[in-house]
Formats: sequence, C-alpha cells, structure tokens
Amino acid sequence: MGELDGRVACITGATRGIGRAIAEAFVREGANVVIVGRSAEKGQQALDEMQAGDAATFVQGDVKERASCESFIDQTVERYGRIDIVVPNAGGASNHAPVAEMTDEAMQDALVWNFWHSFWCMRKAFSYMIPQQFGRVMLMSSLEGKVGKPGIANYVAAKHAMNGLTKTAAQEVGTLGITVNALCPGGIETDIMKEEGPVAAKAMGLTYEGLLDVFAQESAVKRLNEVEDVALVAVLLASDAGGGITGSLISIDGGTSPY
Amino acid sequence: MGKLDGKVACITGGTRSIGRAMADAMLAEGAKVVVNGRDPAKGEKCLEEMGGGDNAGFFAGDASKQETVEGLVDFTIDRFGQLDICCLNSGGVQMTAPVAQMSDEEWQLEVDWNLNHVFWGMRRALQHMIPRQSGRIIVTSSVEGKLGKPGIPGYVACKHAVNGLVKAAAQEVGTLGITVNAVLPGIIETDIVRETGPDSAIAMGVEDYDAMIALFTKEAALKRPNTVEEVAAVAVMLASDAARNMTGCLFPIDGGTLPY
Repeated sequence: MGELDGRVACITGATRGIGRAIAEAFVREGANVVIVGRSAEKGQQALDEMQAGDAATFVQGDVKERASCESFIDQTVERYGRIDIVVPNAGGASNHAPVAEMTDEAMQDALVWNFWHSFWCMRKAFSYMIPQQFGRVMLMSSLEGKVGKPGIANYVAAKHAMNGLTKTAAQEVGTLGITVNALCPGGIETDIMKEEGPVAAKAMGLTYEGLLDVFAQESAVKRLNEVEDVALVAVLLASDAGGGITGSLISIDGGTSPY
Repeated sequence: MGKLDGKVACITGGTRSIGRAMADAMLAEGAKVVVNGRDPAKGEKCLEEMGGGDNAGFFAGDASKQETVEGLVDFTIDRFGQLDICCLNSGGVQMTAPVAQMSDEEWQLEVDWNLNHVFWGMRRALQHMIPRQSGRIIVTSSVEGKLGKPGIPGYVACKHAVNGLVKAAAQEVGTLGITVNAVLPGIIETDIVRETGPDSAIAMGVEDYDAMIALFTKEAALKRPNTVEEVAAVAVMLASDAARNMTGCLFPIDGGTLPY
C-alpha cells in the first residue's frame, strides 16, 4: 500500500537530479509517472535504471517551449488517463553576471526556463485538475526564491517570481481540491549544478568548490542537501495527508533560509 | 517496516488532539511513545484507545511546569532507554486580554505554558541528544507564530518566540545529527480550541466561537480548518531519518494562510 496508489504525475527535468529522485519516490509509493527530458538517450537510460515497467514513461521535449510544456500534460493524460500531480522541476540559469553586465538573453532564458515553463505546465494541468476537483502542483523553487546572491540575478528573480505565482494560484484553487506549493531546496550538487555552477561561481567571484562551500557553510548542517531530501517532501505534499498544505514555500535547505 | 522503527518519542499534551495524532502516527510507524497530560484518568483512557501495549506510556503533569517537562524527558529515557524524538506540543490560549489590560500574573501563565515549556523540554532533551549525536525536536508553533491577532497577545508573542528558539537551536546543533523544527498549524478544532475558543472569540472582538472559526478559515486558501492528521503526517516526516537535512524550518500546515 503506497501513499500515492492510483495517482498520476508528470515531472519535468526528471531523467536526472531532483526530478529523477521525485519520480522514483512517487513510483515507490504507487504512482504512475511521466518523466520529461530533452535527451531521448538519457530518457531511455533513466527508464532502464528505474526499472518501473509500465509505471514510468519518458516523454522527450524542451521545457523552454510553451507547446511542449502543454503537450507534456496532454501526453500524461493520454498515457495514464488522468493527471493528479505536476512537478515542473526543470530549471536553472546560464550566462551569469552581475546585474550591471547581465544580458537580456541571460535574464530572458532564466525566466523562460524556470518561471514561464512552470506557468505553462501549471495552467495546462489546471485545465484537467479543476474539473476533476483534485490536484497537487509543486513548483521547484529554491533557497534563492527567498534570498538573493550576487551575480545570479536572473536565477534569483525567476525563483522569486515562482514563489509569487505559487501563492496566488493557491488562493485561486484552494476550494477546488487543488494545492499549490513551492519547494525551496538549498544547494545540491546535481548535474545542472556541475554544468552551470562554475559560471555562476565566477560571476560571484568564487571557485566552483568555493561556491559549494558557501552553500554548506551558510546552512546549519554545514553540508549540501541531497535530492532525496526534496523527494521526501514532495511525497508528503502529494499524499492525501498533504491536502491541508497549500501556498507554502517549503525550505529544504539544512537550516539556511531565514524564513 | 515503519519509518520510525526503534525510535523513542515523548510528546507534551499528547493525550488529545494534535499531540495524540502525533502519538498515534508515530506508534503506527514503529516508535515507542510516551504521552503527557494533566489528568491521569485521561491518560489511562488514551493508552487504552491507542492500543500501543508496551510501546506506549503516560506521564502525568502540567506541561507549564518545569518539573513536568523535564520529568517527561527523564521518564521516557528511564522507560525506553533513550529519547530520539521530543515533541513539545502542549500549548494554547489560556489568558485573553488586550495588552493594555493584561496582568503580569496572566502574562506569566501564558509564557510558562507556551514558551518556557518548550525551552525546558528542548534543553533537557538536547542534553541527552548531544552526546548521542542524534535527535529530533519538533515544536508545535502556530500561524500565530508569524501573524498577530488582537486579544491573545501572550499566545502570539510566545509562538513568535518559539519560532526564534527553533531557529537558534537548529544552528547550534546542526552538525550534531540533531534537527530542530516547528510545525505551524492553522486553525484546527481541537478540544483545547473548543474549550478556550469562546473566550478567545470575545477577546478578538468577533461574535462567538463559530464566528472565530469562520474568521480563521476565511483567511485560508482552502476555506476550511486543518486537521490533526495533517500535522501528524509532517511530524512523522520530520522525525524520520530521511529528514536529516531539514532543520530550522517553520513548516506551515495552514491551508494557505501565511504570507511567508
């Protein structure tokens, strides 16, 4: 008996990192999951490693396009008959620089990758969730959705915007059986972090190792978080017992955020 | 296989409502649990209803008294050999009055129950947990730990204070395998709220108990009260080994009431 028996979830950016950990945790609790990623090769690898059989399906696509985001939701319903949980988890930012030197493209890319992608997925998911009067939406925000760091204004602004979207949407659908929450993880050394971290570190005047150390040292536990920490909270929010939690910006950051 | 197999928990104010739901949920996940309450008769009844057998115990006493809170921690360690999870859950609105009319004596009663009790229990538990490099402290705060309401200044101030205490303690023991978190429920129609609600309603300037419940639920996105089971589910998660990196967290279970 799992906590998510019969539930259907769509998770973007789910072939690796946090999204993958959430997908595995959902499957373990009895859910069917669609995992979304850009690379068919990585998608196949994820399915092979998850060994979830019919309970997991890979859908290829780019979260930076509206039509793709909407089709992820439609394809989830086509594959499993409904959609109960959506986790627009993909995100990140590139071409980091101080605000005075940041390009329009760097800001625009971060907003599309994080904020617009979350909005597109949520809006489309609502078109199924509102009629069925049930849904769980979890946006993948960040510690940087609550606090700022120099040199990564594009990422910080996009994550703050997602927290505002979470709070507003939660108010709109509160009486319709739908909850909307944001997960705010602290530093985790995911593949995306390994790829984009060195550039972010440089914009912050640090080495990559120095950046990871900043995350660890500003926390109470003095270490980085792990993807399983985020999956733990995602399962709780998706479960029936999580139905009383909405509009919350939940810190999963080893005691870093001041609020 | 439970999420809390082999763990030992104690819970202040554990015979009814939120504390009781935590006790039931933790027992179901394999923990041994000692609950506390003022009334031995209610304690006996509670143990019968929980059906935890040798895995459950009761410690009688008023949670607003230092000897009770420290006694509960000591009793739990004597009874089960260790303490892994300390839930400082008791509390409520005892004294209602606007600040301008609240006496020192009334203020002290509110502070002892809602703030000092948490400090006394946390200090005693940490003294046991720090040498073991393992532990979970879970404090029942409230949406009133972040917001204010008129007429219940002692409750509001104390819940704000315990949030600060949680954040400070989390920083102190973060590298010692111990987490310290608060759960912040919105309105729940617990026995305590039913008992003290009519007075609170008058102090808040609303018509009656029902109007007070309506006021709270109107603030929530869900437009309904929360349930004790929703709080217990979060407590179980925070108590589990898997939550080792969640600390200093003020976890709302409030149906979308708090702005932050």
